[in-house]
Amino acid sequence: MGDLTQTSLEALLLLVTGDTELWSIIRVSFSTTLKAILLATPVAFLISFILSIARFPGRWFLISLFNTLLGVPTVIVGLLLYLLLSRSGPFGDLRLLFTEPAMILGQILIALPLLVAMGLAAFEGADRRAWETTRTLGAGPVRAMLTLMYEVRFGLAAAGTAAYGRIISEVGCAMMVGGNILNYTRTIPTAIALETSKGEFAQGIALGMVLLLLALGLNFGVSIMQRRGEIY
Amino acid sequence: MKSNLFLQSVSPVKTADDLPLLKVRGLTKRYGQKQILDIDKLDLYAGQAVLLSGKNGAGKSTLMKILAGIERYNEGSLYYKEDRNKEDQARHQRFLQFSFLRKKLSLSNGIIYLHQHPFLFDISVRDNLAYGLKCQRMAKKQQAQIVQKALNWSGLEHLADRNAKTLSGGEMQRIALARAWVLDPKLLLLDEPTANMDTESREQTSFLIRRLINQGTGVVICSHETKPDNRLIDRVLHLDNGKLIESSRAELNQTRSPDNETSLPKTRAAIKPCKDLL
Amino acid sequence: MKHLEHLVYKIIKAIPLTALLCSLLLVGISAHAATLRLATTTSTYNSGLLDYLIPDFEQHQGTQVQVIAVGTGKALRMGQSGDVDLVLVHAPKAEIQFVAQGHGVDRIGIMYNDFVIIGPPSDPAQVKNLKNATEALSRIAASQSLFVSRGDDSGTHKKERSLWKDITRPRESIWYREAGQGMGKVLQISNELDAYTLVDRGTWLAYKNKLNLKLLVEGDKRLHNPYSVIRVNPEKYADLNHKDAMAFSRWLASAEVQQKIAEFKVAGEQLFVPSAD
Repeated sequence: MGDLTQTSLEALLLLVTGDTELWSIIRVSFSTTLKAILLATPVAFLISFILSIARFPGRWFLISLFNTLLGVPTVIVGLLLYLLLSRSGPFGDLRLLFTEPAMILGQILIALPLLVAMGLAAFEGADRRAWETTRTLGAGPVRAMLTLMYEVRFGLAAAGTAAYGRIISEVGCAMMVGGNILNYTRTIPTAIALETSKGEFAQGIALGMVLLLLALGLNFGVSIMQRRGEIY
Repeated sequence: MKSNLFLQSVSPVKTADDLPLLKVRGLTKRYGQKQILDIDKLDLYAGQAVLLSGKNGAGKSTLMKILAGIERYNEGSLYYKEDRNKEDQARHQRFLQFSFLRKKLSLSNGIIYLHQHPFLFDISVRDNLAYGLKCQRMAKKQQAQIVQKALNWSGLEHLADRNAKTLSGGEMQRIALARAWVLDPKLLLLDEPTANMDTESREQTSFLIRRLINQGTGVVICSHETKPDNRLIDRVLHLDNGKLIESSRAELNQTRSPDNETSLPKTRAAIKPCKDLL
Repeated sequence: MKHLEHLVYKIIKAIPLTALLCSLLLVGISAHAATLRLATTTSTYNSGLLDYLIPDFEQHQGTQVQVIAVGTGKALRMGQSGDVDLVLVHAPKAEIQFVAQGHGVDRIGIMYNDFVIIGPPSDPAQVKNLKNATEALSRIAASQSLFVSRGDDSGTHKKERSLWKDITRPRESIWYREAGQGMGKVLQISNELDAYTLVDRGTWLAYKNKLNLKLLVEGDKRLHNPYSVIRVNPEKYADLNHKDAMAFSRWLASAEVQQKIAEFKVAGEQLFVPSAD
């Protein structure tokens, strides 16, 4: 017990004193995940919007595909990406493995199914009348989509937040395709895994605190948004 | 079989250029195996007030949505007025799986559908009214002018800056009517506009609908009640078992009360402004 | 929102089942009678030596040996907190400190192998066939060629840092990458990045067929890599399996097993030189 309190205090000290290595890890974590979520969200919401509005053969197949992908462990995503990007793989010439873009790619792949599934739930939860009204009032497909997105904004925000929470705390894929290289691809979760394997718990706990604080904030945000979404 | 007879024997009131705004030929709609609609022929003209009656679940809403172009159908064709040069090009939406991507929808044909419980966007009443104008990329200033007119027209100025989601059912219906009015539609499809309303709201809504009819807007009102508001109706269509049956003029005239005979919609006798109702 | 709630509800429903499965798994693990927990380094484990030796011990002693492969730092830390019964590591300075602080007893040198420096075939730093490891590293630093470090406080990492000690190297140099992962992963990273790295010969032999990298520097005395076994101090943790730990370390040092270590080969090459007296 004494060990735990002592390392926690050391952790706080590290955070407060602005330890360069610690803050470099935090910076890498946020820069990759934010880029990934910014790239993934528009694509995912477009897919979920089309899936919710259009009726075409194969629609159910696509929906179940995304629901299945939702359950794929992140290490499988990592493995697949590793094989594709490694020098002996089909995209080896791009030399992306163990770089930031590879990690962002992995995070996009992990976030996408969650964004599509939750986005679809949000769009399907929207009133069918909303779509019909936009169309009958003369809105083109793009404007109608934007209007609908505004109508279900709380659900979409919840989807985005949940997906962000998933990728920022993800360790399997980030470790495999990122390589946990300090100042380049060492993120909060991979650093925690490393610090624990070194037996250096203080930095692990400090990073854990950052992650916990973030998760708390995100979940708080989601529940506020969901509650606001339920008012109407 | 019966419907054919009636449709051929009855020639509806025609508008100035005598061309139907909307022609329906051989339209069918199925949900799975169940046939919902089977309509051989229907012509709708601008400036007409049509009552579409039928039991609950007869497919009235489905038909109206198909006419407005926001619901798909299985077979048949819809011809809008501007299609007259290319009438042979039947629109088989059956194969248009991605029909939601079509740019041209009901509005370009001047047809707007209003839900029984209208859907208002989660924005202010003013922005709701401006929505259709925004879609036309009208200048902001002009938008504001027209919206102000619409607020006056519907008597809803006091609600202009409220969030539309916070209003009562009656107020929502009137805003939906005003939101359609700003677009100057040729044909409004109203789905049970006064159902489940208290007397006051019903009066206020009916007043707006009468104003629209008197302005010469074509209206199709659907109702599960078979007794129409005769003062306004030119034509009664009955939907039964997927078929359309048109009531004969004689039948329609009989049901008209004598005191309203003079104010037939086509004569467009001025209806006294009923400011007291608002 | 309904759909969203439904999704969350489904996830929550899955929790009890997962918990049940996990507890069954735990029960299954603890059901085994006598077990001995050995923390060792990833490089030892990856070489396959333990898989080659341990079945004999298990048969002979009737004890199951659980091998936990981690970096030397973590292995010693596990011994210090009584999570394992004994450790097999290769970091002499840290080992001496470990025993001096009373965490372990009875340190026995078992064997040694050596480290080598490997790098891309193009060899941009021109270190091929150098016999001096420090000279090789200074050339890598001077030419700013990519170098991947374990960066995980493992025995290999400690060795690498001791080699760098005499060379001035800016801490945040862009050519020096700290991977913070096991030896196998660091080899893969070096391969992808065309970088130099320091590796123990065992892991190198096990991986070299899968890599483009070439062995460039070997034979320096400073690359010598001794392994020792240390039992966790029984006075500190009385409830550990000290009887089997004692048996295991004696067994490793026995003439018979020392002979077997000398006979162990990877890709036709001897990996370890037995060193117990």
